[in-house]
Amino acid sequence: MANFKIVICGEGGQGALSVAEIIAQAAHTQGKRALAMPFFSTEKRGGVSMAFTQISDEPIPYPKFGKADLWVALSQRSVDRIAAWLQPGTKVIVNSFLVKDLSLLKGWEVSEIDAVTVAGEEVRNPRTFNMVIMGAMVGLIPGLDRSAFTETLERHFSSKYEKNPELKAQNEKAFGIGYGLTHK
Amino acid sequence: MVETKMPPDAKLAFPKCVRLESKPHLFCPGCGHPEVLKALGFAIDELGIQKRVALGVDIGCSLLAWDFFNLDTIETHHGRTIPTMVGFKRAKPEGVAIAYVGDGGAYAIGMSHLINAAIRDENILVIVVNNGVYAMTGGQEAPTTLPGTRVKTAPCGADRHFVRAPEMIRNVNPNAYIARGITTIQVGLRKTLKEALQHQVENGGFAFVEVLSQCPMNWGTLGRPEKTFEYLEKTMLAAYPVKKY
Amino acid sequence: MAEKKFLMGNEILGQAARAAGARAFYGYPITPSSEIAHFWAKEACSEGGQKDDLVFLQAEDEIGAGFMLIGGILAGTRSFTATAGPGHILMQDSLAMAEAMRLPCVYYVMQRGGPSTSTVIYSQQEVNLACFGGNGNGYRIVYSPSNLQEMFDYGIRVFDVAWKYRFPTILLGDGMLAKTLGEVETYSVGERGLVMAEPEAYMLERSPRKRPIADIMPSPEFEVRAGEDGTEYDCYRNCLNWEEEALAVNEETKDAFVKAAEEVTEWEEYGQKESRILVVAHGIVSAGVKSAIDQMGTGEARLFRPITLRPFPERQLREAAVGADRIIIAESADNQLGRIVKDALYGSGIDIVEHYRPSISILPEEIVGLIRSNAD
Repeated sequence: MANFKIVICGEGGQGALSVAEIIAQAAHTQGKRALAMPFFSTEKRGGVSMAFTQISDEPIPYPKFGKADLWVALSQRSVDRIAAWLQPGTKVIVNSFLVKDLSLLKGWEVSEIDAVTVAGEEVRNPRTFNMVIMGAMVGLIPGLDRSAFTETLERHFSSKYEKNPELKAQNEKAFGIGYGLTHK
Repeated sequence: MVETKMPPDAKLAFPKCVRLESKPHLFCPGCGHPEVLKALGFAIDELGIQKRVALGVDIGCSLLAWDFFNLDTIETHHGRTIPTMVGFKRAKPEGVAIAYVGDGGAYAIGMSHLINAAIRDENILVIVVNNGVYAMTGGQEAPTTLPGTRVKTAPCGADRHFVRAPEMIRNVNPNAYIARGITTIQVGLRKTLKEALQHQVENGGFAFVEVLSQCPMNWGTLGRPEKTFEYLEKTMLAAYPVKKY
Repeated sequence: MAEKKFLMGNEILGQAARAAGARAFYGYPITPSSEIAHFWAKEACSEGGQKDDLVFLQAEDEIGAGFMLIGGILAGTRSFTATAGPGHILMQDSLAMAEAMRLPCVYYVMQRGGPSTSTVIYSQQEVNLACFGGNGNGYRIVYSPSNLQEMFDYGIRVFDVAWKYRFPTILLGDGMLAKTLGEVETYSVGERGLVMAEPEAYMLERSPRKRPIADIMPSPEFEVRAGEDGTEYDCYRNCLNWEEEALAVNEETKDAFVKAAEEVTEWEEYGQKESRILVVAHGIVSAGVKSAIDQMGTGEARLFRPITLRPFPERQLREAAVGADRIIIAESADNQLGRIVKDALYGSGIDIVEHYRPSISILPEEIVGLIRSNAD
């Protein structure tokens, strides 16, 4: 598999950086080469954060890139921030709960996922919306096996799962729903 | 190499841990520093800790103490002696770490080091020599300069504020050893420094001793010891009580 | 045992310091380097409180941290700190003293945007500061790693080199490397046959020294005298009385630095020898240049990469420049590497193209374009 490049951007607190890291970690678990690099400002809340993940069978020479194969915007401001990473053929996911204006995205096939509503209604925990998004992303990444995520999620959230045992099933359910929305 | 110019029996007047080869010392005539150092030397002798002492001296007049003793001694940068000795003590807890600093080094440029070392209850001894003035740089205003005093950077007289370090340190550290001494009461000063060192040897945490000291050179009283000691023992002492806090 | 791990750059540095046998960390939090402190704080903590054999101390500021680091070194402990940007400025206070007195302080510096507070993530604008900061002549050793594996490899080496040659040593990374999560192979020094230079205390060293202070510190700065029972007491100073003494300190330090440079200087060349364009870059930008050369695959350009920015591989660069028609200097700073490179190439007459992108990353694609536009 050639170097597959993912950019994800969201409001501070939406978990864009965690999603990017978990995907890289899961790819590593599967024996892929992977890098994840966050790009953030000083505003933990109220600013946008972006992250770059690359997955490949070959060593990855540089942590940043200019054009993405998979492009994910979790909020309306994020669309503007990462618009420059679009190229012909880029797969696009937006969190349509917050992204209403798609005018910049004409010409791309957009997976509009109302992740917050799905997480609230189907998982009964709106905070798992980023797991819905992550599932949807993994559905579009070639060569990644969703089973690798069970273990990675468990490792990543172990302390949270200890405090809130229900979260494990919720995260997995949210991930599965998202995956089903994009995986063909 | 400086050859000793001292008479053969001179060593009887000094603490054993003093380095005679570096005498006569380099402080100005009438300076209080050698008296503080002498009291410190006797305290070290009495505790028998010469081989365990790591002495840090600041920039300012205190730097002239860099080879005053037969003690392992490091001269640091202005204001940075406290963190240096903190780092040393953390890495080598069996050593006895002393930071020897002037009032500018401790209360102005190095104040955040002093107060934070006190907050963290670092197991070191900080000795601050308070002569109310920046001496080595030629008599500028210090945080200890008393109200109205005319100095180079306060030609109209220093403002009415000055630092009361023992109170400040007590405020952040209820257990610290805190005392103020004066050069003219040598017995008391030696006892105070001995107690402060003992505090560290027993892992008692932060120890702080401020010493009121004379600077005839910058006080303009050179050659008039009665004026020097009048200022030290009346004016300075009135503002800065000598006692254990 | 050698092990593949998936870690963030800062954690890799923490593990490198541990593998190198470091015992003490003194620091002050600053993005993008803070996870190094987090790592060490956790290492130094056990259920019964702070471990006896490891020191972690969060200072009141970077000036304090730098001098605490000096204290740790004086005690003969492999000690280090980590910082970035404005914190790196404050660290120059202790670096100047470490340079003057040959104290092997180790600094992990993760460059962030500049000048001033700027962005928290990336630049190569701390080259001047790392190499030449302070009121001295830049007698410090500065490594510029280019990827996560090198963060580990050189994260260990800095401790060996610092104590072997007794110069302050800086690992000059950047925020991107610090924050990137990826694969690294960690190992113990023993299994690689690496022998780390042993630390020795400057103060309270009561056993006979393997290396006399006179072999290390400039002569005007110390007095070693025997006490009555033969115990040696060491007194050190950095405040000198006469300009002749200051000259002696500078000359003796320079002599030692020049001698160390013969063994310490490291560089890398990449690409085909006959390529007519020589790109000079360091750190993460050099990784981008390699990628560009690979992507093009047509041999227009090759890379010269200083691994040590101080001492700089001047002679090696001049040799590499032979046969080049054009030299491109690329860095995420304005003329910081550039000035060093041009100084080394003075008189060569080769055409130099300067590509300066202060505080912004230089992607491999950008370098491809740069090489193409200079290939005619």
